[in-house]
Amino acid sequence: MGTATEAITAPIPATHDRWHPSTAGWVARLTVLVLIFGGVLWVTAIVPQYWADRISLAVIYCIIGLSLNVVLGYVGQVSLGHHAFVGIAAFVAAFYVTEQAGCTAELGCPFDHFLAGIGLGVLSGGVAALLLGLVALRIRGLYLALITLTYGFMAERSIFEIPSLTRGGAGMPAPRPDGILGLNFTSDRGFAFLTFVFLALVLFVDWRLLRSKVGRAILSIKHSEPVAASYGINVTAYKLLAFILSGMFAGLAGGLMAFRATTVVSNDFNFSIALLWVLMVVVGGLGNRTGVVVISAFFALFPFLPELWTAADRFVVDTLERSMSLVTIVFGALLALLTIIQFPGGFAEQVSPITRWLRGQKFSMHPEGEGGHSKGHDKSKSDKGGGLLAKLGLHRGEHDEPAEEADEPEGKN
Amino acid sequence: MRTAVVTAAIAAILIAVIFMGLGDPTGPNAFIIIGISQGAIYGLVGIGLVLVYKGARVFNFAQGEYGSMAAFIVYLFVEQWKTGLPYWVAALIAIVCVIILGLIMERIVVRPLMNAPRVTLLVATIAFALTLIGIQLLLFLPEAKSFPPIVQQLPGGGNGIEIFNFIIEPQRLLILAVLAALAGGLGYFFSRTDLGLAVLATSQDAFATRVVGIGVERMSRFIWGSAAFLGAVAGILYVPISGALTPGVMTSTILIPSFTGAVIGGMTSLPGAFVGGVVVGVIQALSNWAAGNQGVAETLFGGRLIQDILPGSPDVVLMLVLLLVLMIRPQGLLGKEA
Repeated sequence: MGTATEAITAPIPATHDRWHPSTAGWVARLTVLVLIFGGVLWVTAIVPQYWADRISLAVIYCIIGLSLNVVLGYVGQVSLGHHAFVGIAAFVAAFYVTEQAGCTAELGCPFDHFLAGIGLGVLSGGVAALLLGLVALRIRGLYLALITLTYGFMAERSIFEIPSLTRGGAGMPAPRPDGILGLNFTSDRGFAFLTFVFLALVLFVDWRLLRSKVGRAILSIKHSEPVAASYGINVTAYKLLAFILSGMFAGLAGGLMAFRATTVVSNDFNFSIALLWVLMVVVGGLGNRTGVVVISAFFALFPFLPELWTAADRFVVDTLERSMSLVTIVFGALLALLTIIQFPGGFAEQVSPITRWLRGQKFSMHPEGEGGHSKGHDKSKSDKGGGLLAKLGLHRGEHDEPAEEADEPEGKN
Repeated sequence: MRTAVVTAAIAAILIAVIFMGLGDPTGPNAFIIIGISQGAIYGLVGIGLVLVYKGARVFNFAQGEYGSMAAFIVYLFVEQWKTGLPYWVAALIAIVCVIILGLIMERIVVRPLMNAPRVTLLVATIAFALTLIGIQLLLFLPEAKSFPPIVQQLPGGGNGIEIFNFIIEPQRLLILAVLAALAGGLGYFFSRTDLGLAVLATSQDAFATRVVGIGVERMSRFIWGSAAFLGAVAGILYVPISGALTPGVMTSTILIPSFTGAVIGGMTSLPGAFVGGVVVGVIQALSNWAAGNQGVAETLFGGRLIQDILPGSPDVVLMLVLLLVLMIRPQGLLGKEA
């Protein structure tokens, strides 16, 4: 934010003693990054198909986490009805490819129909957010949370029950797309790689937007609406914009969810999962892309983790999985409580020495005093006024700005 | 004064509507009675919400789960373990357990966040509610269980009072009585007793309250303990007549209408929570009636029932009502700018 406040509080860049990693340091950092992202892709490539399917779920959770992060982390408002956006988009995408484009599992689905379905999902998510935002954004804080909750319930009970859109309990089929360029997207593994592409896209849009005038305006609103307004920022309009963006991300996730499951059932989008999504963003670290992505993937994969060390037969694994998804709720909620009360920065703050090191700074536990990015991004500051704002929980002012390399997908924890 | 006027006006509207519908078997009268008896539950949960809002300025999303937890504890003693304890003893044990739960929540969740932004505390109450739901899911699995109400017969015999073809179960009458007693008692408590005034003072300015020698922590304990008590009472009374006991039942069915009722009432007014709850109950019941009524369908949509066009219309209407109230009259019907 190019505001006066920041100009005052920002440490004056002392160029002569700014620390740069040596060439060897850069090589080390680059190697670690390549290892992380390459490792994720490599794991996706070698695991069994059903694990690839779970990885694609994790990637979709990452997109949902980033979507909620826009509302929760950047604007500082709580949305408890995100399952409405995700669900509406999933049904719209499935409805389009099945009813309009005439795709079936046997005939397949041309890739451009798939893209159109995803696009319509994004659009419907945005429109749903726009409609809600137009009326709801005049209302702030606690009451907005209540309205979004009511909205989610309304969608669950009403929109998801419209038989022509959702085909009742049987669900609306959404066959996966045919491959292009010699790639195969009908397999779980191929689809997982496809979701990685979309996650990278979302991360890119999120990152660029946050660096633009719009992003600075949105962030300034979170710090103080009156101050933002006095600088001539149209508070309601930018809030609405952030809301729509969040709805569009959620819509993308919904569309991908539809094609991942290949049949959209309204039971998949319920209220407790929406709450879990909110909590996973809180645990990840509000406003921090890296933290949100890692923890979202973790929450998505958590129910399947026991399988890694119990090579039991299928039946035991299935039972385990069912109870594990229940454990996820308790575990996630407790983790969120712990985060809110003890570690307001979330996962992102715990790993911040590592992420700072990867961005070309010293490996240090203390963000203050280590000012300055060494990669020409000196205009943006990663850690704004940690002291007072850090105490304010949701209104904390930390927005890590990962450099380009950090914007690769990180689907697997 | 305004409380009396608004209550009387709403009662007059209801009576007028019922009077107009007399003699019409497909009319909304039975639905209005259903709505009032359902609205009483919303009022009961709403009173707990208002109490916490008055005291701590936050929406307590765990309010519904106090009820579910209490119902599950009663279920454990009465049905699962077959301990042979009288029902009311099990209910008392459940209420005590839930009050302890409320105090634990106050200590580990609310107290550390006393000076945090309210939205943070809100998310914390959500996390706490989800923890409770998850524990219920783990212990009882996502299955529906049935368990009996406290009173099945009226003192003089009979299965309830029949009004407009709708039988009001004794349990619902009990709920109305409990609700009236609680609303009156709490109203008196907040306006006349020292402790009540101290609670209000704490919510308005914690620092100033501390300066005049009132223990803010003690007030906070008191508020969350009584909220848990109210939630437990609501759960034990309502779950038996709701049909089935499932994990998170009070959150998924009762919490949102109760919030809406409390907001309509003004969020700071105890009688308002009750009046708002009844209004919400009646609105839901009326939209249910309209959604399934052939006459309405023929007048509006050429014979197609509303419920075939748009399912779940009570929830749509509920959301619209909530939005309307917040846009037009955010302080609600009976709220004070406090």
